[in-house]
Amino acid sequence: MRVSTSLVYSLGVDGIARAQADLLRTQQQIASGQRLLAPADDPVASVQVLGISAAQGQTAQYAANVGTGKDSLRIYESSLAQVTDQLQSIRTLAVNAGSGALNDSDRASLAGELGNRLQQLIGIANGKDGAGHYLFSGFQVNTQPFVANANGATYFGDQGQVQLQVASGRQLPASENGNAVFENIRSGNGAFAALAAGANTGTGVISGGQVINAAALTGHNYQLQFNVAGGVTTYDILDTTTASVVSAGNAYTAGAPIAVAGLQVQITGAPANGDAFTLAPSGNQSLFTTVAKLIATLKIPGGNPAGRAQITNGLNQALQNVDQALDHVLVVRAGIGARLGELDALTSANDDRSLQYQQTLSNLRDLDYNKALSDFARQQLALDAAQKSFLKVSALSLFNHI
Amino acid sequence: MAGSIFGIGLSGLAAAQAGLLTASHNISNVNTPNYSRQEVVQSSRLPLYSGSGFIGRGVNVDSIRRVYDTFLVAQTRQAQADASQLDTYQTQLSKLDNLFGDPVTGLAPAVDQFFASVNAAGANPADAASRRVVLASAQGLINRFHLIDDRLSETRTSLNQQITGTVASVNTTAAEIASLNQKIAASSAGSGGLLPPNDLLDQRDALLTSLNQQIGAVAVTQADGTFNVFLTNGQALVVGQDAFKLAAVPDPIDPQNIEVGLQAGTNVIRFSATDLTGGSLTGLLAARDNVLGDAQRTLGRIAVVLAKAFNDQHALGVDVNGVPGQPFFAVPSAQVQNTLTNTGTAAIGVAITSASALTASDYLLRYDGVNYTLTRLSDNTVNTFATLPQSVDGLNVTLNAGAPAAGDSFLLQPTRYAARDLTVKLSDPAGIALAAPIRTGAPVTNTGSGRISAGSVTNAYLATPLAGNVALTYNAGAGTLTGFPATQAVTVTVGATATTYPAGSPVPYTADATIAFGGIQFTLSGAPANADTFNIAPNTGGAGDNRNGLLLAGLATQNLVGGGSATLQGAYGQLVGQLGTITQQAQIESDAQTHLLTQAQQAQQQVSGVNLDEEAANLQRYQQAYQASSKVLAIAATLFDSILSLGGR
Repeated sequence: MRVSTSLVYSLGVDGIARAQADLLRTQQQIASGQRLLAPADDPVASVQVLGISAAQGQTAQYAANVGTGKDSLRIYESSLAQVTDQLQSIRTLAVNAGSGALNDSDRASLAGELGNRLQQLIGIANGKDGAGHYLFSGFQVNTQPFVANANGATYFGDQGQVQLQVASGRQLPASENGNAVFENIRSGNGAFAALAAGANTGTGVISGGQVINAAALTGHNYQLQFNVAGGVTTYDILDTTTASVVSAGNAYTAGAPIAVAGLQVQITGAPANGDAFTLAPSGNQSLFTTVAKLIATLKIPGGNPAGRAQITNGLNQALQNVDQALDHVLVVRAGIGARLGELDALTSANDDRSLQYQQTLSNLRDLDYNKALSDFARQQLALDAAQKSFLKVSALSLFNHI
Repeated sequence: MAGSIFGIGLSGLAAAQAGLLTASHNISNVNTPNYSRQEVVQSSRLPLYSGSGFIGRGVNVDSIRRVYDTFLVAQTRQAQADASQLDTYQTQLSKLDNLFGDPVTGLAPAVDQFFASVNAAGANPADAASRRVVLASAQGLINRFHLIDDRLSETRTSLNQQITGTVASVNTTAAEIASLNQKIAASSAGSGGLLPPNDLLDQRDALLTSLNQQIGAVAVTQADGTFNVFLTNGQALVVGQDAFKLAAVPDPIDPQNIEVGLQAGTNVIRFSATDLTGGSLTGLLAARDNVLGDAQRTLGRIAVVLAKAFNDQHALGVDVNGVPGQPFFAVPSAQVQNTLTNTGTAAIGVAITSASALTASDYLLRYDGVNYTLTRLSDNTVNTFATLPQSVDGLNVTLNAGAPAAGDSFLLQPTRYAARDLTVKLSDPAGIALAAPIRTGAPVTNTGSGRISAGSVTNAYLATPLAGNVALTYNAGAGTLTGFPATQAVTVTVGATATTYPAGSPVPYTADATIAFGGIQFTLSGAPANADTFNIAPNTGGAGDNRNGLLLAGLATQNLVGGGSATLQGAYGQLVGQLGTITQQAQIESDAQTHLLTQAQQAQQQVSGVNLDEEAANLQRYQQAYQASSKVLAIAATLFDSILSLGGR
């Protein structure tokens, strides 16, 4: 085979250039720590890298939302813990107020203290978060949710609840509105409320009552109308919803259960002629209204037996409603606790997922240094050999000897 | 006797001198590109017949010829054309590949960041700072679109300039070949073609090789030694001593593209780019037409889909002040390009009606006097219709004014300029519509356990937004709900069964059914008591509401592109993958072709290349021959002297 001189040079130079290019590429990989320098190096892996990076970004958003949700729920939790404390104090005060040893002025001072508690409760309900937005006004975060009035407080917020996207396909409520927390509290025993009429003049005291036959419930209002004629006390049971008489002239025995349409109450003491008690299906009663009514009850003069009976009836009812409020707030807090628990679980799930993405990305993208360094050494050797051999070959010439 | 010895000695001297000259010429041209080594062709002179037989009379130098293999040279040239094409193609593609794949300059991080900011604003809807970040990151995203599109446009401009430059260079080379043809014909004519002008032939070969680096061309040798040069589409470029001129002119359909054609007087006959093969010109055309345009349109499609989907969802929300969401992005509009040769007066309009149905293709609308044909240029799918407007692939094509003439055509580009034209329209952070337009609630006075869900709205809501509170009242006796707006029908969906109740009629209550009217839908659950009410009201003052924000952030993971086949990020990933694959393929082909070229060059050099060692030996050989012939002359002189001395005796 003939070899042309220029071919000796061009082939030699080409070989060195190729070896240099390989070496430089490996050097770039080592310097950047990346296996893929351009998508063309491995298009499939590059697309996977993009997809996983996007998923990683999404997971980071979920993680951020989990953090936001935790912060937010903790604020609600601490506010509601304060509400629980206040309600427990109020309950204690209400129990104390039932003591027969108290006179009107004692009760008035208790009423004064309860007034302060009510203000504090409204204060908590009007609490703000770190950014100065009201916690309990639903979506209306710039509107003060509760304004005190004679019957407790009026709600100006809405029933919105902020949701956060905490995982793919999972939105989690991160707020509570004032309506749900403070207003949607069942009154009475939860099924119905037994009340003594304000105009009663006897000493009849009605118990909170209970449902004895849920199947017989009608949802109607009932009234127990007492008649005292000739020393004999009887009562009529009226259905005030349908304005009909259920039964009339029933003999009254103090403490005996009175049942109507699945409801049962007990009345003790001596109702006077014309006294009335009502049994109404439970509605919603604001926690503030409950406290305001308690305060009003404590202001009733207790100088005569009828007044004391009114106070007792009012206190019974208030205690029942405070218990309902406590239960309700506890249920809300339990819900918040469950959500916090879920967020904790999601935090570790998100961490796991991000780690997994990171590993996959690393496998796809990152350089195997062992292989790269060994490649580098091999390519260095090849370049060295190409250069040296080229020098040798190009130095050979017949002209050296002529 | 002595005279003929002198003659023989002189012929040997001349032959040795020719050999020395040729070897020196070879040595001096060792590095001349396309030089073919030359050698002396010599033969013994016709002998003299004498009584004792034929007596030799010395040597003749017949010619100097170059050592040349036509087949190997043609093979090298072909390999050169292909290698130049692939190398140019690959170089251009690598630039695009790096642009799209770069983790910093690519689109993916900007899209991620934008949706992360929307999500963060959704988590804190009342926070003005996080709203501001949404606008800033939207601007960042737009800038990234613009940046990439600018780079693509720059690449297009640069490709067009290179095409124009290459065409000029092709013309120069062709003219030089024609001029050499003339010289070669003249030089060969003197000797009747027997004494080839080797160096001129080599120069012409060099020009032809350089032509093949620019555009694929084949040469056909003529009887008079001239070449005729033809392009791969059959067009003659050089015929004998005449060169034709190529021209680079704007494509009349899409003037943004420079096309190549033959200059015929004042007209230019355009070539179809696909008929040309070989050379950097073809590589440039292929990179522009096959890859660049596609990348730009695919990017544009992502821009249109993002803008339209985001705007549509944004319109379904209300901002901090309860005002319905205004357009967030300015959605880029589709462009129509009238072909320069159109004679009619038609103004064609194109509107994008469905972003998700949009393809990443341009369309050519032609009118033949009776029918319109709309060709999707990516796969040449043709739709024919007699009248406009027509809807195809999420586009609505309309005839806005005038009338087309037969033969008119229009280039419809729905996505080509979209990445360039995309801008953020919203400037007030408070204008970001993160809240839903409605809110629901139930008054405290309800005694039942009925609950109303937060509710959502669909596109239909925009036509009939709520004017005021809608209070639904439950009638326990009839088990129905009343109070729906008097003019709107109500659809109740229980499980998979939807029942529509005419406007104004009471609607039976079913727990957990989805109730929809006027684009609003919500769910009622539980057991409401008689006369319980549920309110659906416009969401005023809902600064803390993030329901629409959640839906906006959710667009990141929705399959919005290509008829619901890919997310925005997925569509971008497909583009990167496609570019990566094409680039990888081009690199492999280019490497292989470069290898083939080297092999062809080696084979050709083995025959025609100069070897200095060989020439050194030749120098020695001819030097010795020269010296020996000199000795012959010396002996002839001595012989002559001895004859002369005879006379002197």
